[in-house]
Amino acid sequence: MRNVKYLFLAVFLFVHSFTIGQVNAIKFKILPYYSTYQRSINDTAFQLSSASDYKIDVLRFYIANIRFYKKDSLVYQEQKSFHLCDASIPNSNRFLMSKSENVTFDKFQFDLGIDSTTNVSGAMGGALDPTNGMYWTWQSGYINFKLEGRSNSCDTRNNEFQFHLGGYASPFSSLQTVTFNVKNSRDFILVLDLSQLLNNVDLAKQNHIMSPSKEAVKFSKLVAQSFRCIEQ
Amino acid sequence: MKAKVLLLIVFSIFIVAFRSGNDNLFVVPAYFPKPVYNFEKNPLSEQKVLLGRLLFYDPQLSRNNMISCASCHSQFSAFTHIDHALSHGIEDKIGFRNSPALMNLAWQKSFMRDGAVNHLDVQALAPLSNPVEMDESLVHVVSKLQQSKIYPQLFYNAFGDSIITGEHTLKAISQFMLTLISANSKYDSVMRNESVFTAQEYNGYQLFKKNCASCHKEPLFTNDEFMNNGLALDSSLNDFGRYRVTKNTEDSLKFKVPTLRNIEFSYPYMHDGRMKRISEVLDHYSFGIQKSKTLATELKQPIVLSPTEKIDLTAFLLTLTDKSFLFNPKFFYPKEIFQSTAKD
Repeated sequence: MRNVKYLFLAVFLFVHSFTIGQVNAIKFKILPYYSTYQRSINDTAFQLSSASDYKIDVLRFYIANIRFYKKDSLVYQEQKSFHLCDASIPNSNRFLMSKSENVTFDKFQFDLGIDSTTNVSGAMGGALDPTNGMYWTWQSGYINFKLEGRSNSCDTRNNEFQFHLGGYASPFSSLQTVTFNVKNSRDFILVLDLSQLLNNVDLAKQNHIMSPSKEAVKFSKLVAQSFRCIEQ
Repeated sequence: MKAKVLLLIVFSIFIVAFRSGNDNLFVVPAYFPKPVYNFEKNPLSEQKVLLGRLLFYDPQLSRNNMISCASCHSQFSAFTHIDHALSHGIEDKIGFRNSPALMNLAWQKSFMRDGAVNHLDVQALAPLSNPVEMDESLVHVVSKLQQSKIYPQLFYNAFGDSIITGEHTLKAISQFMLTLISANSKYDSVMRNESVFTAQEYNGYQLFKKNCASCHKEPLFTNDEFMNNGLALDSSLNDFGRYRVTKNTEDSLKFKVPTLRNIEFSYPYMHDGRMKRISEVLDHYSFGIQKSKTLATELKQPIVLSPTEKIDLTAFLLTLTDKSFLFNPKFFYPKEIFQSTAKD
């Protein structure tokens, strides 16, 4: 009977410490921006309206292995962390780092996509389950970043463009690392500036990438450069 | 104290049972190398293998519920598709290549004729999604299985969770494929000193070791590499093999060296099934080799054999037939389970 009491106490303390800890845990929110507006893909403002405008149908990508540094030495890394952000799924763009309450840092870094070791490790679950539509079937490998939509500048069927960026093996490894120097904040917004990204692409000439290639590597770099970090 | 001892006993029984369970499902001769497959991430169990076997034979894995893995991989032909140069899939659509025979897959580093697939677990995704094979998607297969009468319980038995996932579906199929071990041919019994070759087979074995074994390496009878064996390019297919995956010109016209185990039953031969008989294959290596930049160095000189030598070599190749594999009831269509559910 005494044991049971202790058990309750332990469970209570455990749960309680977790909720207190979470207040100070590092939080991330990913926001796709188009022009000066924050957009969700169900937003009507995203519809095709003029020659320069876009409609986004799919925006889905992995943010993985977030790691924190202080004076260039690693102080904290989320283990085996793969966050699948999908603009059409509310809350898939928010996550918090567990057990990060006491971490102090001046820089963080993440992978935009899935590392090569994970790419050759067979079937996996959760964010990595092949049912998430982020795994190629005709050739093994994860799709790191998926952007599909329409633009009047695409002379294609239904004016569609499709970018499925992936490839883990040399010379077409498209995995990108994104780094930000920051103050020791706990709340970060990662802004993916789609207008900057799409302005850097000539959609009339390039409107689909579907396999590991030189083009996929180049486009992945453009995506990585389109992230900004806002500290709150 | 008593409780602790009891706990220890229960725990050790668990470990022992787990190991032997694994060993019973994966029996390998001592002269086989260490498998490539990482069993730690997907340890074999009776329930998972059974589930994988059901999935392998279940046409629900195709868009129109008519084609199963076994449609192009039938057991009696060493799990390939005989009688068709190019395998055909859903609605009789003709595929791009001849389906490979399936056996000893735990020793393979990559899959498909061109190695496009890097792990056995994700291999099934390729035929499942190919528009001329099964034309389905894993996400839809998972939802079909979830709604079926039998699968939620079978997934629960296998993985302790009746919510079906892509990961568990693929891992179960892998489990069944891993058990497809062919290691009981006459060749194997000779290796185990349980029988002897005839004079003809013995002579064939010597010829084999001299001319073929560097690529068709014993005991798996493949080196698991990609090589150009001098086949002329078929301009109706323009299949450049491994190049398609790596985009590296050095890989042009290279294909995975296939195993020769059960070759008697796994015709037709080559990636596009262009040869129907073993004699045609031997003739190719004698006088059919097309020279090109990526031709295997082993084939720079043709393999010239006398008619008698060809017969002896063929006699040896027939010793690679493993009837206990081709007709193993453990790999049969799971009639009992499918029929019992059909009545519901």
